[in-house]
Order: sequence, then structure tokens, then C-alpha cells
Amino acid sequence: MSEEELAKDLGPLAALTIGVGTMIGAGIFVLPGQAAAKAGPAVALSFVAGGIISMFTAMSASELGTAMPKAGGSYFYVNHALGPLFGSIAGMGNWMGLAFASAFYTLGFGDYLSTFVPLPTITVGSFVLTQIQIGALLAGVAFVLVNYVGAKETGRLQNIIVILLVSILTVFSVLGFLQADLSTLQPFFPKGTGSILPGTALVFVSFLGFAKITTVAEEIKNPGRNLPLAIIGSVAIVTVMYAIIMVMLMGVVNWEQLGPAVTDRPVLDVAEVAFGAVGIGALGVGTLTFAGLLATASSANASILASSRINFAMGRDKLISAWLNDVHDRFATPYRSIAVTGGFIVAFILIGNVKVLAKAGSVLHLIVYGLLNIALIVMREADTPEYDPEFRVPWYPVVPILGAVTSFGLIAFMKPIEIVLAAAFVAFGVVWYLAYARTRATKHGILSQYVLDRSEQLPKPAVSAARTAQPDGGEYRVMVPLAKPEHESHLISLASAIARQRGGSVDVVHIVTVPDQTPLEYGAEHIETLDAESQSLLESAREDAETEGVPVETHTIISHESFEEIFDAAADHDADLVVMGWGVDSHGAPGRIEGAFDEVTQDLPCDVLVLRDRGFDPSRVVVPTAGGPDSELSAATAKLLQAEYDSEVTLLHVADDHAEGEAFLEEWAESQGLSDATLRIETGDVETAIESAATDATMVIVGATERGLLERLVRGSVVIDIAEDVDCSVLLAEQKRSRSLFERLFGGD
Amino acid sequence: MSVEHDPGERSLLAHVLLPVASEDDALATARALAPYDPDGVTVMHVVEKGEGVPDKTPVEQSEATAAAAYDAVREVFPEAEDHTAYRRDVVEAIFEAAEEIDASAIAFQTRGGNRLIQFLSGDTTLKLVSQADRPVITLPKDPGET
Repeated sequence: MSEEELAKDLGPLAALTIGVGTMIGAGIFVLPGQAAAKAGPAVALSFVAGGIISMFTAMSASELGTAMPKAGGSYFYVNHALGPLFGSIAGMGNWMGLAFASAFYTLGFGDYLSTFVPLPTITVGSFVLTQIQIGALLAGVAFVLVNYVGAKETGRLQNIIVILLVSILTVFSVLGFLQADLSTLQPFFPKGTGSILPGTALVFVSFLGFAKITTVAEEIKNPGRNLPLAIIGSVAIVTVMYAIIMVMLMGVVNWEQLGPAVTDRPVLDVAEVAFGAVGIGALGVGTLTFAGLLATASSANASILASSRINFAMGRDKLISAWLNDVHDRFATPYRSIAVTGGFIVAFILIGNVKVLAKAGSVLHLIVYGLLNIALIVMREADTPEYDPEFRVPWYPVVPILGAVTSFGLIAFMKPIEIVLAAAFVAFGVVWYLAYARTRATKHGILSQYVLDRSEQLPKPAVSAARTAQPDGGEYRVMVPLAKPEHESHLISLASAIARQRGGSVDVVHIVTVPDQTPLEYGAEHIETLDAESQSLLESAREDAETEGVPVETHTIISHESFEEIFDAAADHDADLVVMGWGVDSHGAPGRIEGAFDEVTQDLPCDVLVLRDRGFDPSRVVVPTAGGPDSELSAATAKLLQAEYDSEVTLLHVADDHAEGEAFLEEWAESQGLSDATLRIETGDVETAIESAATDATMVIVGATERGLLERLVRGSVVIDIAEDVDCSVLLAEQKRSRSLFERLFGGD
Repeated sequence: MSVEHDPGERSLLAHVLLPVASEDDALATARALAPYDPDGVTVMHVVEKGEGVPDKTPVEQSEATAAAAYDAVREVFPEAEDHTAYRRDVVEAIFEAAEEIDASAIAFQTRGGNRLIQFLSGDTTLKLVSQADRPVITLPKDPGET
């Protein structure tokens, strides 16, 4: 089996139960009382309307899911199609919507828990925690912990839970219908037909779940068939079950007796009647209580997991910090993401209003569903070659248009407070994009590409809007940390050349080291006297860069440390590349070079070029390579110099076997786009070969960690030997490890 | 790399299977093994699957972690082979891989943590050490810098 197939281990039943298991909790166990009070027996139609609205979106989600089986689901499709502005809205909306819904589910759990476990009520001043909230907090913390440590339920447990739930509800329905009296259902529309859609708005939280299947699309076997089956199937199953059970509940007990004014848990009242008729009333109540606990727990659990998937997908698109998605060393879980989501859930439980939570969660999901339908239309219209879904929505474009219209339309039936709350999160998503994500996100939406590609035909406002909303992340920033004036102009020339080729800017930083005993504030006040060179150094750097025609910024950083500060500054300034000098007099004392290079090789926030400066003359460049990421950076740098200065580039490979070496180097040169370079193959000692190749070169560019070269270079000091022994300048290249990997894996550009 | 099938004549470090988790763990493990100069190294990462329930982390993320870990090991052992397994049971996956590549030994570094953490993460060390059908080498936590 291929690796791809090995990674797919969810069969059709498992995929279906994710959807059914998430959805079945709330509608039946928490909401029927409130829903009955709202619409009477007609609430069954409210559920049917919710099912129909969900079905449109379910079809769109199925198509997008089979076309792009990627972790993240709805968020991913919206971000991919509509770009990171809408991606931020959908991502934040989906994440918070799930947190709201999880808080709602755990409150339902706490409610059922409190029927048989005595829980205290806690009063702190005017703040009261009901026993339901206490139960919900216990449950919420437990669910978060289970996900945090990644305790693995056995593979079949979820299937068993869902099948058990469906069985219990089926028996309940059958026994209930035996006791039902159709006359109890009269009048069917006590509040008029106009109450149906407000009812739908209330119970829509019962349908949040089908889209969660798409968040694990990459793990589903044969997704082309099983994904649509699971998504559409789960919506169909729960809609039918909801409708039947609502009719049954209100056929057994008059709707007016089910409302919150009369009873807290109408399902248990009906269970008592239905099971009581066959003499097992208490058993019936117990079974339904158990079912209520199972249903709300599985909904909450699935939501917490789904939100960590959305966080991962947002981190992948750089809309949130990758830090959030780090995996725990021992538990192998995205523990930070789960903990943060857990924090939101706990906060929402403390707010405690079931109805507001349910509806705010629904509004946020409806916004995401609406955007998802629009995303589908964009993908179809843009018709990119990669877009090849196995499942296609029938009656396009009717279905996605109806999906978008009904999803957004249902929001109108929410109360103003719920809409305002959701709007606040949307606004937060927009602010988040502008303040955080815009400078970082690298991915452009299909929509903006589509609009910009057709800027001739399309109306001007659309084109300019698309251009304005574009992420500018990835403007290439080259940071140059300066210590002493000697090498300033050479470093600036090199940095400017690269920045100009990449259409980026140069950021010159002067790091002023003050002794450990001096407080940094003191240093800042006395910068003139501490380092009189600072201003003039930065001024000449600015002039040099401006002469080269590159946008430039200058900064002074006061620090106790020198070398370490460079990498902190690079991270702070979002640098893509650091160009720095290295020599006895550059950064820190000579004795610290070894330590400094340990630092370089450990953890890099960006690509780094270190120049051992013996004059800046890029006319004849030698790049020794044995493959690997760092020599790719060497090659890229050589290529930039070639484009800028028309440099003569020689690639050097030291091999055991001449013919093999030649084959390798030809292929490598080709893959680096340097097939016009001179190829030089040597056998024997690496160091000698590099040094002899350097004799007639003006610059050597060495990758730092190529295939164990790191150990030889740093520990064995070969790089220092080379750098000291050759007569030309040496440029040491080290690629940012995580980013390069990320890009190789996900094909980022 | 020649693999001799007579265990009596085979060096313990002829072909070491190196199961690793994160990038940091991989680098530390490889550095701990390096002083003993093994003849062959295969680094492996187990992508923990749910086998019926969704995984703890997205497959994409797990695979990125694996690739980063392999790269880290190759900084120390440039010629190391890699092997990715997709299994629910991490220890079983390690044994299977050892069988498949005919490893002479399995080398790993315990990841510490108190008893609670070990219990919660399912004490792989004990299972690995007690159920293996070939030598298991526990590498020291902090190899002295020489």
C-alpha cells in the first residue's frame, strides 16, 4: 500500500458517525422544550427546514471536500477560494463557533449529570454558578484533558456510541408513538406558520457537525465516494430522526407541558410516559439520561478536535502563529491549541446562557456555510486545472446559490444581540487580518487571482478592491546586522543586490552591546556617548542602500548580548534573510565564534548568509555542493548574483566516483536553474578541493549543513580553515530549517 | 550496506533502527548515538493513527514532523535511511519496522517525564524494552561533550 493509503483509515461508517455523533446531541436532549415553546408541534418543520438548509451546504462541502481533502475543512476552502481576508473571518468564525457550540453541549451534559449526581451551587458575591454550570465545567475540563493527553478511545468506541444512541432513540420513538395521540398534536401551528423559521434559528445548532467530517477528509478511505456519503447521509439521517422524535414528543405530551415554564427536561418526562406504559418507566428515564450524556459528550469532544484542525490549517496559511500548533513531545497532541480552545469553552460556560450560546454558535457557522457556498461558485467559475472534484453538486449553480442565500438568510431570524455578538467576531476576524495576518499570509485567494487576471474586462472597483485586500506578506526583507564600520558597504551591496532581485527591502540594524552591569534604559538614554559611531554608521548604510535603489530602514538595538540578539531581531522584524559579517572584529570576541556558530546551526528564524569579507567582488563565484537545503540557498544566492552582476558561476562537487559525481551535479544544476554554470567534479579531500577551486575565484558560497558538512565544518572547524586559508571572500549559507521544509512539503511559493 | 543474517557474527550496531518523535528529540537521539559510530542507521517516525476515529493531529502535520525529524538525524548521520509507519500502536509499528529492515538493534532515548505523564502517554519505554525480539539500546540522556 502507498503511504497515502496507509494514512487513510476511516471507513464510511466511521466517517458517518463523526457527523451523526456530533449532530445528534443537542437537538433532542437540550432544545426541545424551548423549541416547543417557540413553535408548538410545528417545530418538527423547523427541524426539516434546518435539514434542507444544511443539505445545500452539505452538497457544496462534499464537492469541495473531494476536490481538496485537506485538514481544516470549511476554513480551508474559504481561504483557498476567497483569500485570507475571508479566510480570517471563516477561520475565526468557525473556531469561535465551535467553542460556543462546545460550551452549549457541555452545559447540556451538566444538565443531565445534575439529575442523578448531587452537585453544589456556588455563589461568589453576586456571581452564581448553578449546578448545571458546575457539571458543565467538570465535563468541559474533562473533555479538554482527554484531548490534551490524547487518550485514545478504541477505534470502534465512537461507532458503538453512535449506534447505541440511534438504537435507544429508535426504541424510544417506537414506544412513544404507541402512546401518542394525534389529537395532542392539534393545533399543529399554535403560533402560526411564521414561527417555523425562528424555530429553525433556535435549533440550527443541532445541525453543526456535518462540515466537521471535512476537517478530517484526508483520513477518509476512498474519499470520492465516502465523503459525500458521510456528509449528505448524516444530514439526511439526523433530519429524519429529529422530525420523527419531535412529532412523537408532542404527540405524547401536549407541547404546552413541554416548555421550560413547566419542565426542565421534557425528553425525560416523555420517556417516563412511553417506557412507563410497558412498566419500565424508571429504566426508560435512566436510559435516556445515559443517552443524553453520551450524545452531548460526543458532540463536545468532536468539536474540540475539529477546532484544533482549523487552528492547524490557519497556522499552515500563516493566519495565526505556528506556535499554537506545536505538538506535545509525549502526548503527540496539538496541546496548545486544545488548551486555548478549552479556555474559551470554560469562559463561555461561565456566561452560561444556553440559548445565546447555541444561537451565537449557529450564526458564526451560518456565516462560514454561506462563505463555503460562495467558495464553491468561485472554484467552479475560476475553473483552475487543479480543481477536479470527484463529487459534483447537482443543479449547479442553483444549489450553492440557495445554500448561500438560505444560510445568510437564516441569520435574519436570530435576535439582534446574537447577531451583534457574531458580527463582533467577524469584525475581529477582519481586524485580525489587517493587523496580524496581512503581512504574514502568503497565499492569495483564487478569487483575487481571477479578478486580477481579468483586470481588463472587469469593473475597476472590483479590481482595485481585490488588489487592496491582497496579503502583502512575503515582501522580502533582508536584515543586515552591523557591528563595525569596516564591512558595512560590502554587506549592504550584497544585501541590496538580493533585495533588488527579490523585489524586497533592506533593514539595517546596529546592535550596540552594553556591559551586563549597565541597565538597558541607561544605554538607551546614553546611546550617543555609548556608541558615537551608531548614527554615522547607519547613515552611511542608508546612503549606500539608497544608491543601490532599494527601500531601506534603519534601527538601533541596545542589548547585553550581541550575537543572540541578531536572531531575536530577525524574528521580530519578520526578516526573510539575514546578511551578516563574520570575522575577528565583527560580532563578539574571537573566542565566541565557535559558540556563535552553534547558535547559527541550532535554530534559525530565517535564512542566513554570513560573509567572511575579503572584498566584495562577485565576478567569479564557486558553489561547492553535495545537495541538501543549505546548498540550495547557496545556489539561489549565486543565481541572484549572476542576475545582478553577471557573475561566472562554478558548481563544485566532491565525489568518490567521477562519473557518478558528474551525473549528480548535472541533475542538481538543472534543478537549481543553474544549468549554464561551469561544472567541476573533484575526488579526494573536500577541504583541499574547495580550497583549490577557490584559488581562481572571487567568492565561495558554502552551505552550512549539507550532508554532515555541518559537523565537519563546525566541530572540525573546516569552515574556519577554509575561510582562513582561501584568499577570496567566503559566504556561508544556512537555510531556515522549518520554513524550507514547510515549503517543500506543502509546495508554498 | 551488507546485512549478515547470522546473528552470532553480526555487530550490535550493524543496522540500528532509530525511532524518533519530534525534530528536537531526533537531533538529541542522533547525537547520543553518534559517539558509538553505528555502521547503518534507519530513522523512523510513527504517524499515530486513530484506526476508526480521527487522529490526534492532521496527517499533514504528522508527516511534516516526520520529515523534520529525518532531516535532523541526517545532520548527524548523512546516509541514514528513513521509514514512516502509520499505526495506532507505536511500539508494534517499531517492531514491525525492525523486522522489515532487519535491524540489528533498536536505539532510543527515553523522553523522561514523571510517572503520571508516562502513564498518560502509555509508557512506551516499558513495552519497547520488555516485548522486543531483538536488542534494545537505551541511549544516555546527556552524552558528555568530548
